[in-house]
Amino acid sequence: MDILQTMNEKVVRSHCRICHGGCGVLVHVKDGKVVRIEGDPQSPISHGTLCPKGIATIQLAYHPDRLVYPLKRKGAKGEGKWERISWDEAYDLLTAKINEYKRQYGAESIVLGYGTGRDNEAFIYRFANLIGTPNVLTAGHMCYGPRVATSIITCGNLPVCDYEGNPRCVMVWGNNAIVSNPDEYKGVYLSDALAKGAKLIVVDPRFTKLADRSNLWLQLRPGTDVALAMGILQVIIEEELYDKEFVQNWVYGWKEFVVRVKEYTLKGVSEITWVPEEKIREAARLFATTKPACIQWGVAIEQSINCVDNNRILIALAAITGNLDVPGGMVFYVPPPTMNASQFGAHKLLPHEQRKKRLGGDVFRLADAFAILNPRFVWDAILTEKPYPVKMVFLISTNPVLTRANASMVYEALKKVHFLAVSDFFLTPTAELADLVLPTATWLEMDYVAEFWKRHGYVLARQKVIQVGECKSDHEMLNELGNRVGPKEYWWPTIHGALNAILAPSGLTFEEFVKKGYLRGRMEYRKYVQKGFSTPTGKVELYSTRLKEWGYDPLPQFREPPESPVSRPDLFKEYPYILITGMRPTAFFHSEHRQIPWLRELLPEPFVEIHPETAEREGIKEGDWVTIESARGRCLQRAKLTLGIDPRVIGAQHAWWFPEKIFPEHGWRDSNINLLTDNNPATCDPAMGATNLRVLLCRISPKREG
Amino acid sequence: MKMTKRLAMIIDEEICWGCDTCELACKQENNPPDGSRWIKVKTKGVQRVDGQLRLTFLPARCLQCSKPPCKEACPVKAIHQRTDGIVLVDPDACIGCKACLEACPFGVMQFNTDKGVAEKCHLCYHRIDRGERPACVDKCIGRCIHFGEVKELLTQWADRRWQFGKE
Repeated sequence: MDILQTMNEKVVRSHCRICHGGCGVLVHVKDGKVVRIEGDPQSPISHGTLCPKGIATIQLAYHPDRLVYPLKRKGAKGEGKWERISWDEAYDLLTAKINEYKRQYGAESIVLGYGTGRDNEAFIYRFANLIGTPNVLTAGHMCYGPRVATSIITCGNLPVCDYEGNPRCVMVWGNNAIVSNPDEYKGVYLSDALAKGAKLIVVDPRFTKLADRSNLWLQLRPGTDVALAMGILQVIIEEELYDKEFVQNWVYGWKEFVVRVKEYTLKGVSEITWVPEEKIREAARLFATTKPACIQWGVAIEQSINCVDNNRILIALAAITGNLDVPGGMVFYVPPPTMNASQFGAHKLLPHEQRKKRLGGDVFRLADAFAILNPRFVWDAILTEKPYPVKMVFLISTNPVLTRANASMVYEALKKVHFLAVSDFFLTPTAELADLVLPTATWLEMDYVAEFWKRHGYVLARQKVIQVGECKSDHEMLNELGNRVGPKEYWWPTIHGALNAILAPSGLTFEEFVKKGYLRGRMEYRKYVQKGFSTPTGKVELYSTRLKEWGYDPLPQFREPPESPVSRPDLFKEYPYILITGMRPTAFFHSEHRQIPWLRELLPEPFVEIHPETAEREGIKEGDWVTIESARGRCLQRAKLTLGIDPRVIGAQHAWWFPEKIFPEHGWRDSNINLLTDNNPATCDPAMGATNLRVLLCRISPKREG
Repeated sequence: MKMTKRLAMIIDEEICWGCDTCELACKQENNPPDGSRWIKVKTKGVQRVDGQLRLTFLPARCLQCSKPPCKEACPVKAIHQRTDGIVLVDPDACIGCKACLEACPFGVMQFNTDKGVAEKCHLCYHRIDRGERPACVDKCIGRCIHFGEVKELLTQWADRRWQFGKE
């Protein structure tokens, strides 16, 4: 292990994974206990910086409520009565259940699941593919997955802001990259780019600190991003601000694309988006004429019926302005030589006839091509047994009762499913419904070849620093279970065998890798000049041949959100505000961390952003508990009055539960915004199945007494 | 008292992202009890300034005043100032009367309810004394916390303004 000795403490170099991870850390250990987490100044990713969550990992690791051994349900489902069992007993139970359901109902009756993932994604897919189930329930239909899938069919790979290449203009689109984790990079990159004088355009319905720092803030009507991008493209095309040479040589379907863009007049776009024509023009000119430029995007635009077309149209913007794969633009990073996540996931070992059974695969074709499914189909298969019964759900690092749309349905389904196993840090509201609960390890408690699924050109060494209770990393757990369930030849005697296999192409063992700290691929720009773009036509497909093949519109289009003043004027009479959800607080990662004292102190209760005019009209005062209600459900959050939101829009937080409230419910119904969201497939993106979590209609009122 | 090499921390509020990392870095380093923060990121939220929306964060902490009112107010002389300017509360001498909390014009003196004593940011003097910088400085993603000798800081401050191309 790469250990530095300073005084009586030893210092272990590792990489954080409290969110989507990647920050370099120096873990200080004294007498076998972690006493301090410092940023690693040598990390090329985070340069010594950290965030509140990373530091608070100490309180997570040593939390008194943490699960430290496997638990088996003793009383009725969800009653909160547990019995301690050994890992061997837990593995025996899991093996017996998997074999039983596989024999009786087919492997497809077993669903593996994770949320946003704790760097365990490739292991979970591998396990699922090897037991023969095509059903892995991820967030991939509405988070990151769409960016990757859409990029691959449009331009061959995921284009990422090249902050090191010194962009002169950054357009941050629906992303609060400073507070959230935009996957490939940390906020420090964006912060440094701005410090170096990059121009900043911010597209966001909320006035964030990024908006405060911006040269131009486009406060659009939530859910109309594609229309706004059409407006920007309109100006770029009309004023001939695009890179003609690139378009001529490297764009497929330009003529058809231009015809489509011209269907959107600037005036029309302004009416749809609420953004004044002049601002759209200004943004188009600033972005197209400042080189190099990149678009910092994120998950917000993906949790929408416009998911795929929104990603496609932002790629189009970067492409036609000549910003693809150039220094400081949006680039395709070159990975270091390791096995990639897709190879490790063993997708090729899933038999074809099983693959065809993927739930909803015939509906959401793009998602299916990337082994991704829409959760609604799982809940339906449990509740109605159609198209076939789902009997077992194995959830690893996910809390869907809080984080999936239509929480009431999720709760019913998980309560009904025959056998539910959950691997997590705590007894979450989801884990409370389980038959078997496994205690998982934090990033401080595992060896791993970290982030090898990301498209940022790195793999990072994560080192085991401590052991807490009987906790095991999900990777280790799945490798051990895989050895029992089989086929054994595809698993390793120990977890280090798996890590060495991932590293094999680099010629390094895990021990050697740890000494290096990280590997980085050798970056080259403009790779397309030699190799073309990795699409069917070898070009950037603004007219998508793949989508056409699957029967979708090959050109991007704007779809009005399924619930909006325009699409549902009837509903709008009763629910007269646009509700947006999921603003990121500094303290928490989705449904996690409400039990961590240092973090909970930052934000003790959920808040909903309301414009002061709106609050006055509704009789709401700062700090009041407010009932937020949609056609499907309601919840309570505290009013935070702010000028940073349009008076017609309400901004709520997501994934709130209260670990301190009485078990087994832990107050999951109190402030859960997903009691209001919809998971009807008709409201999802037609190709990717992305769930519309972000734009609904709601009404608000002060909480009634009693 | 003659002071040589006066130390200070300055924070560029204009570019503070409000990410709260400094609060946690301090919590980890100095371990104040729940509810107490030696550095606290404050904001008035989104304001309208000259017709423009603005959002500013202010990490409030002890400014190590050159003539500390807290020191003046302490009836038992539990507060003293080092030659480098760091203002320290001696927990053994403090009687928990909170006179210093009243006296602090910035409201940053904290009260440790577990120990019954006043305490506050001391620029992590224990780190400084072993050649390190205060815990919050290098973890800041906005790089807006600056620590050093006062005169050097002021020079750097001018440079920074220029480098960042501010109007």
